[in-house]
Amino acid sequence: MTRRRLPEWFLLLLPAIIVIAAVVLIPLIFSLYSSFTPYKLTRPSTLWTWVGTYNYEKILTDAKFWTAFGRTVLFLTIALNLEMLLGLGIALMVNKVTWGQRTLRTVVMFPMMFSPILVGFQFKFIFNDNIGLVNNALQSMGFNVALPWLVDGKLAMFSILFAEVWMSTSVFAILILAGLFAIPRDPLEAAKVDGCTPFQSFRHITLPFLMPFIYIAMTIRSLDVARAYDIVQIMTGGGPARRTELLWTLMSRTGYVDARMGLANAMGYVSIILSVVFTIYFFRKLTAARAQIGMEG
Amino acid sequence: MIKSNTLKALLASAAVFAVSESALASEWGSFDGVTVEAKLIGGQQYEGLYGRIADWEAATGAKVEIISKKSHFEIDKEIKSDMAAGTTSWCVGSNHSSFAPQYEGLYVDLNGLVAAETIAEFVPGNIGASTVGGELLMLPRAQFDVSVLYYLKSNYEDADKSAAFKTEYGYDLAVPDTWDQVKDQAIFFSDPPNFYGTQYAGKDEAIVGRFYEMVVAEGGNYLDADKKPIFNSEAGQRALQWFVDLYEAKAVPAGTTSYVWDDLGQGFASGTIALNLDWPGWAGFFNDPESSKAAGNVGVVVQPMGSVTRTGWSGHHGFSVTNDCANKEAAVSLVKFLTSEESQLAESAGGSLPTRSAVWKANVAAAQAGDDPFRAESLAAFAKGAEFAFAVPAIPEWGETTNIVYPELQAAILGDKTVKEALDDAAEAVDELMRESGYY
Repeated sequence: MTRRRLPEWFLLLLPAIIVIAAVVLIPLIFSLYSSFTPYKLTRPSTLWTWVGTYNYEKILTDAKFWTAFGRTVLFLTIALNLEMLLGLGIALMVNKVTWGQRTLRTVVMFPMMFSPILVGFQFKFIFNDNIGLVNNALQSMGFNVALPWLVDGKLAMFSILFAEVWMSTSVFAILILAGLFAIPRDPLEAAKVDGCTPFQSFRHITLPFLMPFIYIAMTIRSLDVARAYDIVQIMTGGGPARRTELLWTLMSRTGYVDARMGLANAMGYVSIILSVVFTIYFFRKLTAARAQIGMEG
Repeated sequence: MIKSNTLKALLASAAVFAVSESALASEWGSFDGVTVEAKLIGGQQYEGLYGRIADWEAATGAKVEIISKKSHFEIDKEIKSDMAAGTTSWCVGSNHSSFAPQYEGLYVDLNGLVAAETIAEFVPGNIGASTVGGELLMLPRAQFDVSVLYYLKSNYEDADKSAAFKTEYGYDLAVPDTWDQVKDQAIFFSDPPNFYGTQYAGKDEAIVGRFYEMVVAEGGNYLDADKKPIFNSEAGQRALQWFVDLYEAKAVPAGTTSYVWDDLGQGFASGTIALNLDWPGWAGFFNDPESSKAAGNVGVVVQPMGSVTRTGWSGHHGFSVTNDCANKEAAVSLVKFLTSEESQLAESAGGSLPTRSAVWKANVAAAQAGDDPFRAESLAAFAKGAEFAFAVPAIPEWGETTNIVYPELQAAILGDKTVKEALDDAAEAVDELMRESGYY
């Protein structure tokens, strides 16, 4: 008499499967389901009304959503590239420091220790057109202007980007610094012996070794950049006149203020495309970069 | 035997004690051992009233457990989450006339639970604004809001300024009585970036409320009887043009489109704004030398007229009782206590406006007899202003319409769209929302 037994590997994995199902899968299925309903938080019964793809059709034909979508892509692209370049610069400089480097590394990490909400308030004050630090500094230097930092579309996006870059550059700096520590010394010394200029060494040895770290940082940050929601929400709330509206402000207003969770979830699923595209792109780049330095496989 | 006699005596004396206690407590009832859970709006100006809860606890034997105390927008989100999760067994909630219609089915109709003569003691307009679909969803507390015009007096005491104004505009410079005069004077007084003629709330529900009252002042309305948007009428366009003109003339700070109440209050208190339509809660703040550079220079008059009438977008706070509350009688008693005449007298002593007719009268009389002319002036202005108060449409979609409308108003103000384009776009989107919501 043989008893049918579940395979051992499955039994061993079962706790993990249950936990993942509870905290990831069920909310995911629930939110996917609710995106096909007119679910309103204040009318729980609407959860059981099936409207098919109505929410998706509404979004796909909604110019406001696509403008926010495009602006978010632009924001991500500029923010991530700027943060990468500045982070690379900071990491290279910190790497050269021989005395007090640990303290410096800690100081570099300060901005990322702040809550994004605080960063938002801080820069909202700095860029306030009337009582803000920047305009007061400009005025005391003799420019009789009150630049509408948080009102003008371009200036407002700049202000938000500035705050975001200020807060998150250190993530890149720290990850790239870790990469710098891991670079083998031999190729660099060989290059020196061969008479390479410092730029050539950087371009052909240091940078290729750093690329995997850069792409990992990019991937993490492209998923994590939505933390900037707090900053945008506090500094401009997506306004004025939707000039700084990003997907995150649009979704949170739809879901929580207007209580239209069904529609907000549909927006979430459409915008997941964005994360998926960014992630696939960065992973491809990562694989290519690893292949270049012989780390593939 | 002796033991049982002692027991009887003890029981009898306890009963006598209980009877005398209940006589004392008869006004608010007796709810020994009952715990009433409450979610209340928090903030400095609201705390005074909560200090009185201990009196109610002593009178009724019940206990109040405040399970949440947050700003109104935060508590609104929390209540919506509670409704979605079905965790609504707490009993008393802070409410607001603009928010109340959203919470369908959450709160009981107080009409059957509070005596009609008690309800009649409140200002009828406030009871009207607390009633949704015939159900009285809250009893109003002494936090009634309508705006009147604050101004810097010094601007009207300068002979050179008066002469220059008369030459330019052809009429005497005096505290404005119409919105057109406000516009003229705001442009005249402005000296950007150091001094501005006026300012207005520039985002969220705040700007839509301001626009709404201007539309009504111009003879139009926001929605018609079928809840169809009609704010893109001629009156609506005139109303929005007023905001646009001031912005274009740089008579308001460039950042005004990102300002809400705190920014506006701080702005006027900084002494750099000539005319400011604002709420009653600021009166004391504006005239306090500790907090305001304008202190001693602040005048208060009734809100100016549009081309048709004076209007005041208004709202008030209140307390509601949930349908799922286990002991509604105790909860209703607490709500009655917090909105009673004594509570309103105590709360409005801090400067907020009452919602009971008798308390209005008492406050105005006391201010006139007192030695604070500013308090008397502002209270008289608010009493007059309250006559023109209107509440927003009692529909759950009000807040959502404001989220549609305000970016369009901003677009017109900032010059991204013409007034007509902006209002037509907003009306079209609100129309779609109303259709989806099944109004027509």
